[in-house]
Amino acid sequence: MTQRTRNWLLLAPAGTWFLVMLIVPLTVVLIYSFGERATAGGYSPAFTFEQYANLPARWAAFKNTMVLAPVGTLAALLIAYPVAYFLAVRVSPKWKTILLVLVIVPFWTSILIRSYAWIFLLGGRGIPALLEWIGIEGVRLINTPFSVLIGIIYGYLPLMVFPIYVNLERLDKRLLEASSDLGAKPWRTFIQITLPMSIPGIATGCMLVFILLMGEFLIPALLGGGKVFFVGNALVDLFLQSRNWPYGSAVAVTLVVVMLITVTIYMRLIKRLGAHREDVSLM
Amino acid sequence: MTNNNDYISKKKFMEELYRYKRGSVTRRHFLNVTGLGMATAVMGAAVPGLRPQPAFAGDIGDRVVLATWPNYHDPANFEAFTAATGAHVQVNVFGSNEEMLAKLQAGGSGWDVFVPTNYTITTYVGEDLIEPLDTAMLPNYDAASYNPRFAEAGSVDGKLYAVPKDWGTTGYVVNTAHTGGRKLTSWKDFWDIARNEFSGRGMVHDYQLTTIGNALKYFGYSFNSIDEKELADAEKLLLDVKPHLFAISSDYQPALRNGDAWMSMAWTGDGKQLNSDMPEMEYILGVEGGEIWSDYYAIPKGAPHRDAAYALINFLLDPEVNSREVLAHGYPTADARTNALLPESLLNDPILYPAEDLLSALEFGAAATLTDPNRAELMARFKSA
Amino acid sequence: MRLYAIFVYMFLYIPIGVIALFSFNAGRHASQLQGLSTKWYGIALSNPFVMDALETSLVVAFISATCASLFGTMAAVALQGIKGPVRTAFDALIYISVMIPGIVIGIATLIGLVTIFDQLNPLIVAIWPNGIEPPQLHMGFASLIAAHTLFLMALVIIIVRARLSGMDRSLTEASSDLYSTPFGTFRQVTLPLIFPAILAGFLLSFTFSFDDFIVAFFVAGSETTLPIYVFSSIRRGVTPEINAIGTMVMAVSLIMLVTAQILLRRGERRNK
Repeated sequence: MTQRTRNWLLLAPAGTWFLVMLIVPLTVVLIYSFGERATAGGYSPAFTFEQYANLPARWAAFKNTMVLAPVGTLAALLIAYPVAYFLAVRVSPKWKTILLVLVIVPFWTSILIRSYAWIFLLGGRGIPALLEWIGIEGVRLINTPFSVLIGIIYGYLPLMVFPIYVNLERLDKRLLEASSDLGAKPWRTFIQITLPMSIPGIATGCMLVFILLMGEFLIPALLGGGKVFFVGNALVDLFLQSRNWPYGSAVAVTLVVVMLITVTIYMRLIKRLGAHREDVSLM
Repeated sequence: MTNNNDYISKKKFMEELYRYKRGSVTRRHFLNVTGLGMATAVMGAAVPGLRPQPAFAGDIGDRVVLATWPNYHDPANFEAFTAATGAHVQVNVFGSNEEMLAKLQAGGSGWDVFVPTNYTITTYVGEDLIEPLDTAMLPNYDAASYNPRFAEAGSVDGKLYAVPKDWGTTGYVVNTAHTGGRKLTSWKDFWDIARNEFSGRGMVHDYQLTTIGNALKYFGYSFNSIDEKELADAEKLLLDVKPHLFAISSDYQPALRNGDAWMSMAWTGDGKQLNSDMPEMEYILGVEGGEIWSDYYAIPKGAPHRDAAYALINFLLDPEVNSREVLAHGYPTADARTNALLPESLLNDPILYPAEDLLSALEFGAAATLTDPNRAELMARFKSA
Repeated sequence: MRLYAIFVYMFLYIPIGVIALFSFNAGRHASQLQGLSTKWYGIALSNPFVMDALETSLVVAFISATCASLFGTMAAVALQGIKGPVRTAFDALIYISVMIPGIVIGIATLIGLVTIFDQLNPLIVAIWPNGIEPPQLHMGFASLIAAHTLFLMALVIIIVRARLSGMDRSLTEASSDLYSTPFGTFRQVTLPLIFPAILAGFLLSFTFSFDDFIVAFFVAGSETTLPIYVFSSIRRGVTPEINAIGTMVMAVSLIMLVTAQILLRRGERRNK
């Protein structure tokens, strides 16, 4: 068997999957986005740009998403980086695996149930009651942008921790030792060696979180009290409530295009920062 | 049978069921101890629905798929059904009619029986998604025993497509501990207090039909209005109230219970549950009117186990079985035969059975209300504002 | 540093603690404590709907994570040695499958598959031998696993590839210089090196599949997974029954984890 045949055989299952489960469905969405809404909802065949012309009606949703996704990604990065650093550099190998897996274990409980726990914690009988007890009164946490942010950080932390951890783990510890042997202060070692070398991990983590945040709908609905509307919520409403599938498809296509553009720009920026294309593992 | 006092307690039943499922007792022991075996035998003889019917005298298959709402059935009834017919009931639960409709419209649902609400039935018929019912296969269905108000939506153009399950209303729950003795009676009160004294404490449904419908009621318009000018008024009200709302969510019980919210639009069952646990929670129907609804059993087109579907509906329509259902979920039924078996206290409950003058002001949601694109867009503007 | 880590782990586990606490609630609401009791565990364990949903979720998550790890690793290894348009096409596909929001992939898969099935079903009936009931293609278990596998496979490819790209090429070259067969090289050199990545991919995949609601909602046909059950319950009030299930799932996975850790340690010690 030549290497060529072998590669083809190895790629066959994945290729078939992509064809049947991705290309076919996406073509359907694209076709739908040029259709019309049937009177009772759903899709009726047509060729019109009407759905795309209506896009400004969801401008607010796109705007909210384009604010939430970067802010949420940044917040998750700030919280996750020290954890990943701690796990990769400071923890003894004995504890490494277990601590790493402990990051992911909470996610074996449905996000819905966990959000319920947060609704309680951020609600009147949770943290605000605790604050009241120590003398800080009138704090309102639930159904605010803050609670949505907490939910996002909570929900996406492992996705940020893992790639950064993997990256820092591979980092040659001798470099750090050399740096401190040469008399560099710890923070200088961090700024000049650790941080630049962990850029690929940061880039991967940010991209994963950013992409998933662009389609997020559960956390704003549950912890934001449904008062903040993102593209994900708009899509859920269009497909499941008003059943305007052609319009929903057009919004979906637009979202994918917006994401493609954003991610491409992002990749360019990362490249400028000196990371190799191969390193940013998403590509 | 259900009123029989030495009937096994619910707790004991669950324990036995659990033991049976773990395999520590045999099926025979389980059926004996729980009385289900006897119940099945007795029911088989006493309940016409369980006597082998010519239509499905033979094998109805080993399963039937039911698409319904959460907490809307007594699981013990399904066990009894399985024991009697050999068909296992697989339950799919849904959060809204639109979700059900979306899934049926897309195809491939695999359901045998589903539970649509009154205003969706004509849409299902129009889309050719629902099967006309053959009453010969539903001996327990007695059209005369139903209050026609809750049964008529089941027939479209003289053809029967769906048989009544339960009904209820949409009003609002208010925590009277915070009203300072003031009595709220109308939707006008609801919206006015929501943007004044109750700022940051009110909730509306994440549901176009009821939220827009009840905003229309503020002006005295029809709950079902799709008139552009009237909708524009409702939109102005909604946008004005939005900054004062605690949340836009159909899951309002937790917030009301822990004191974060003081008032919310609510359906009968939630009103009842909140009121039973916290007497200060009052369930109010607006004097201007509002929504009344009724749910039905129906069979979707292309149901994979049609015979089993008929057998299940027929079984659930049996007054004995149905009365146990009502005791389990707490929604009123339109079947007089079932009501005759229910305790007096339940029938006199003003939340379940509101006064006639309040009831008569209520409107059933209309199919056009549900599918109107302008209302859908209004809701999107309200939520994204 | 350590303090910060403790703080973050608290952040991760306090909500879990709340879930566990409310699972012992004597009342029927998930957010209002009314005395302690273990009754919801009994109720959850004896509720056939919940147990069926849990079983479906576990089976689906296990099969799709396995398929994704297998096919994903195969593709990642093959893509190492490929350049040109095929590589570009696969890169784009991987990238797009991770990027598309779940709701879009859910509804698109549903409509796409139903369209395909509608074409194929009459064909199957036509070619099927007389006298035997022809099978009918429909949405359900298989379509759910297929849809999950797509997204998870892309994820595994990404993770495994990151590991492969960091791998020292001289190792595989040395191996083939020593006349090892390609499969031998793979088994003895590549696989041990990428195994942690495959395992990480499997774990992440299992988690994603187990927690997925929106894709499952559309493509599961008449099957109910645990997230579908929970999601549908929230509008009529979540009972501590759901908390009890969450707590049990968590407890079982923690026990399995600790056991695995202890076994691994023992194995290591013995090897020394």
